[in-house]
Amino acid sequence: MNNNKFTSPEDLNRLRERLVKQREEGRIIITVCAGTGCLACGCEAVTAAFREALKENQLEDKVEIRTTGCHGFCERGPLVVLRPEGTFYQRVKPADAKLIVEQTIKHGKLVNKLLYRDPQTKEVIVKEDDIPFYSKQMRLIFGMNGHMDPTSINDYIALGGYQALAKALLTMTPEQVIDEVKKSGLRGRGGGGYHAGKKWASCRRAKGEPKYVICNADEGDPGAFMDRSLLEGNPHGVIEGMVIGAFAIGSHDGYVYVRNEYPLAVKNLNIAVDAAREHGFLGDNIFGSSFNFDIDVSRGGGAFVCGESTALMASLEGKIGEPRAKYVHTVDAGLWDKPSNLNNVETWANVPLIIEKGADWYSRIGTASSKGTKVFALTGKINNTGLVEVPMGITLREIIFDIGGGPPKGKKFKAVQTGGPSGGTLVVETREPKVHESLVAHGDIRDEEEVVSLLDLPVDFDELTKVGSMMGSGGMIVMDQDSCMVDVAKYFLNFLQEESCGKCTPCREGLRITLEILTRISEGKGQMEDLDTLEEISQVMIDTCLCQLGGSAPNPVLSTIRYFRQEYLAHIVEKRCPAGVCKELVSHAIDETCTGCHVCFSVCPTNAIIGQTKTLHVIDQDACIQCGACYQLCRFDSIKRVKRGEGDAIQYVAKEKWHPPVKKKAAAVA
Amino acid sequence: MEKVSITIDGKPIEVEEGSYVLQAAEELGIKIPTLCYYEHMTPYAACRICSVEARDGKGWTKIVTACNYPAWDGLQIFTDTPRVITARKVNLEMLMSHCAPAPVLQELADELGVKEPRWGIGTDTCIMCGLCVRICDEVVGAHALTFSSRGIDREVSTPFKLESEDCILCGACARYCPTGHIRMTDTNGRILHSELTLGPNTAISIPFRQAIPNAPRIDPDYCIHMATGGCKLCSKVCPKECINYEDKDEFEELEIGAIIIATGFQDFDPTPMQQFGYGKYPNVLSSIEFEQMNNAASPTDGKILMENGEEPRSIAILHCIGSRDEDHHKYCSRVCCMYALKFAHLVKEKTNAEVYQLYIDMRTFGKGYEEFYQRILTEGVNVIRGKGGEIVPAPPEYSSEGNLLVRCEDTLIGKFREIPVDMVILCTALEARGDAEDIARKFNISTGADGWFIEAHPKLAPVSTTTEGVFLAGVCQGPKDIPDTVAQGTAAAAHSIRLLNMGEVLMDAAYAEIVEEFCSGCRICNGLCPYNAITFDEEKKVSEINSALCKACGTCVAACPTGAIKARHFTDDQIYAQIEGILA
Repeated sequence: MNNNKFTSPEDLNRLRERLVKQREEGRIIITVCAGTGCLACGCEAVTAAFREALKENQLEDKVEIRTTGCHGFCERGPLVVLRPEGTFYQRVKPADAKLIVEQTIKHGKLVNKLLYRDPQTKEVIVKEDDIPFYSKQMRLIFGMNGHMDPTSINDYIALGGYQALAKALLTMTPEQVIDEVKKSGLRGRGGGGYHAGKKWASCRRAKGEPKYVICNADEGDPGAFMDRSLLEGNPHGVIEGMVIGAFAIGSHDGYVYVRNEYPLAVKNLNIAVDAAREHGFLGDNIFGSSFNFDIDVSRGGGAFVCGESTALMASLEGKIGEPRAKYVHTVDAGLWDKPSNLNNVETWANVPLIIEKGADWYSRIGTASSKGTKVFALTGKINNTGLVEVPMGITLREIIFDIGGGPPKGKKFKAVQTGGPSGGTLVVETREPKVHESLVAHGDIRDEEEVVSLLDLPVDFDELTKVGSMMGSGGMIVMDQDSCMVDVAKYFLNFLQEESCGKCTPCREGLRITLEILTRISEGKGQMEDLDTLEEISQVMIDTCLCQLGGSAPNPVLSTIRYFRQEYLAHIVEKRCPAGVCKELVSHAIDETCTGCHVCFSVCPTNAIIGQTKTLHVIDQDACIQCGACYQLCRFDSIKRVKRGEGDAIQYVAKEKWHPPVKKKAAAVA
Repeated sequence: MEKVSITIDGKPIEVEEGSYVLQAAEELGIKIPTLCYYEHMTPYAACRICSVEARDGKGWTKIVTACNYPAWDGLQIFTDTPRVITARKVNLEMLMSHCAPAPVLQELADELGVKEPRWGIGTDTCIMCGLCVRICDEVVGAHALTFSSRGIDREVSTPFKLESEDCILCGACARYCPTGHIRMTDTNGRILHSELTLGPNTAISIPFRQAIPNAPRIDPDYCIHMATGGCKLCSKVCPKECINYEDKDEFEELEIGAIIIATGFQDFDPTPMQQFGYGKYPNVLSSIEFEQMNNAASPTDGKILMENGEEPRSIAILHCIGSRDEDHHKYCSRVCCMYALKFAHLVKEKTNAEVYQLYIDMRTFGKGYEEFYQRILTEGVNVIRGKGGEIVPAPPEYSSEGNLLVRCEDTLIGKFREIPVDMVILCTALEARGDAEDIARKFNISTGADGWFIEAHPKLAPVSTTTEGVFLAGVCQGPKDIPDTVAQGTAAAAHSIRLLNMGEVLMDAAYAEIVEEFCSGCRICNGLCPYNAITFDEEKKVSEINSALCKACGTCVAACPTGAIKARHFTDDQIYAQIEGILA
């Protein structure tokens, strides 16, 4: 076909109707999630196995296999959903494909071992939509992922794609589009939460030609992968959003700046851009209107700082990815000093939705100040790792416990870190009950009343900022009782120090010094004045850093000091790490519950564990490097993490109390 | 641009909208410290030392950097609130904990009252102000420098840390580096004597003292603008708009009445004399290199230093390198003895080094010269009669005295000597310039076997040449020192003025003429004329003689196959008549 271009919405509708009819022909569709998470779990082999199984059973014509983008429930990958029923199979191995084809598809029987079992209620759930992980979500922009092949523009069109573009281009003026977005209350999903409509309006007003529309897909937060999953699973949604935005702003050139570390996203995006161009959704005279717009995909080198808008633009220009002062906004002078409107992947993906369904519909979702849904990447010490899309205003408790299933192994939830590395660590749930006398002497004990649990905090832009964190791009790292807050702050500061561009003094040197102090504290060499110094440096960083990455970098330190001051004090005054994470403050010891199973003996890298099968094992305190390998492995909780130096005392008591486990079989023989 | 009113520390000022706060503060005489700011470049705002507090008077407040914060109507700036002071102090303190106490930081620390940083003193010398990178980028336009790595590992380097092909050796980066992190003279801690001339050069200079016209000019070899099209700083600072980049070298044809040739000499290259190790041992220098090092503007600031940057313990000065030498130049270069004595004097004045003079004959012939020699002897210079024979690396037993060993025969005591020294200066011969032959041909004069131009008469006409109106001055005629050169130059000037004053030249009546009708246009005479007096007229197809150039030698007359050339007053008929007269 030489000319696939749509010149009118009628063409598009005709194709859509044809496609929908095809899809409704009653064929069974095996959707295999092929997001990066499931790819890593081996979904390609699963797809191949399905092909093989269908061939064997001569079902190739009746059953379609569709590899889709990320479904979100990465914890349980590879995921397979049989549509239209919506039967949900988890952790499917290639060998299971044959079973599914023969049992479920041929005979309508369920394969029990692959079904989802609720960890709490132990109830078996068959349908995807009934699984709490999904049922509590509101999957507006992610919903399509599970239903389409991201490399097929027809799938997207069949699901109603590019209807919003037709509507905007042919029935609305640019001003009406901007008004609609303004009314919807859409705020930038990249971190800052600036009102998208306002930004578009300023860019439209700005003097200077040409104007640029940029999509920020340089997602660099550790543990965040919603932008990647969107680009991988639904690239056309992002493209459609950008074209609508460009139309509203009056731009003809667009860029997507995507990390080169996202090869699948780059591939799918490029396929989608080519397809959109071929079908006339990009290029000249889109939909027969006089509007021209095209997109260049530019791959970034993976510097975290290039996610900052000015650094991203510098990088696009071919310069070093360094931020510049934003006293003059990028909507006035951005890329090549021209008016540039930059929004994040998720923001762009929201746009078609708003245009298609209307601002009124959209603004009914969410809170007063934050509208719509937000995708969070739920990671850390949580049962259901994955991507969740929830309406704004949902409480942290709902996200972490209802959707996320809480921390694994029944451990106690302690805190959640939101907003990426420069976000804050939030929520006090458990408190250290024991207060050391020396702390009282320092007068640094805070009143019980001051500690507020933030689990019931409604999640939106302003609420999170109020409590010392931020929405950021939507990373959500859950921590349980085994996480040390000093260590957590150290981890994020280390990340930030490595990713700081080094341009301005406070970020470059401030992070270095902060990290030095935190390291000192975690090694038990901290002093009381260190806390004041940390707060002083943090304030100077907030005041004087060139860009927001530096300005928000002290958040992990400030928020952990704010909510977990006692833990800092334990490190500084008592020289003790309550969570038992900071190696220099911890000793490992074996108590009298040891069964002599000898498992720990074999994992110890320094041969510090002494003991023979069925005898009490002892850890040589001098040889132990506190790696924790034995602690993770012991099934009897016999290995204790105690304050440095107290290991021998425990082992001494253990020696006194220990007696060999009762040998039932041996006794019977006797 | 619209004018807006802002206040700085309560003082009102009207400035252009969007102009930077720092300039307004400067106008008001309020000092805001800076580290990374340079007025001719885009503000970078990396050091954050110029932090000030901005307010709108309605409760909004923010710390901003003065160097790039644009003014808007109603803006209130405060430069000394506690928040500002803390921001500056902590930033400086953090910077100092990374960098060695460079004077620029120390000064600022004294100003802001920062004592020793709480987090230790760093050893780095780069404060990451980026002046070098930006000057190379924005002003020079060579793009040879960049920041590499991130965060705390950030450093200034050439791309991939390789020798940059884009570097034009302008030295701007080193010039603007506030801490001395970038230096021009130092290559891996070595001072390369062979590159002494590469020191920081200014492209704009007055060519030499008392130059006429006494105006600065741009040296296109060093001008950054000529090399990259960038810079133009001089035109930005020149209040009279005198800078003209369009000026080009031009060929001009001048009608002149006299020519003085003063092309000078070139230095003898001692590299082929392998026994002296020039080019092999870094501390064996030629006399001109030593002279350059002594210049106060040299990379060593006029200090006498070895390649490793240390002062030499002893220096040998070897006379007659290439002169008075059967294998090279037989003549005496005449100036070396005296400048060698001057070198000895300089060394004694600037260093504590031992000096050895190795001479064949001490030729201190001029007025006051012998007295200078005697004075040097009293300064403790060791004078050895005997030419230096060989220079070799000193064996270890001499290491306490010198790294090189000079071998020579002391003819006064009749002994072979080995002298350990750290540095050797070779007093190289003056020799005729390589292009002397070309010059001679151009001006119709001749050169001797040594290449020096030959004067009309060695005793009676030492300034004139065989070509009328062409005079010689200085060493191009033969080695001579400054007083002799000045004397000869003055004489040449006098000769020229005499010619110019006459206005017209009396010509000898005897010269050759071509009878056009008989000339076949064979052009045999053209090449034969030793005075280039005969040219060929392409239109008439006959040769012509310039009677002013003709010396009436008669060569062309004898050679002309058609007999078309007649020597006036010496025609065949006249000569026959004379012969007849004698015989009669």
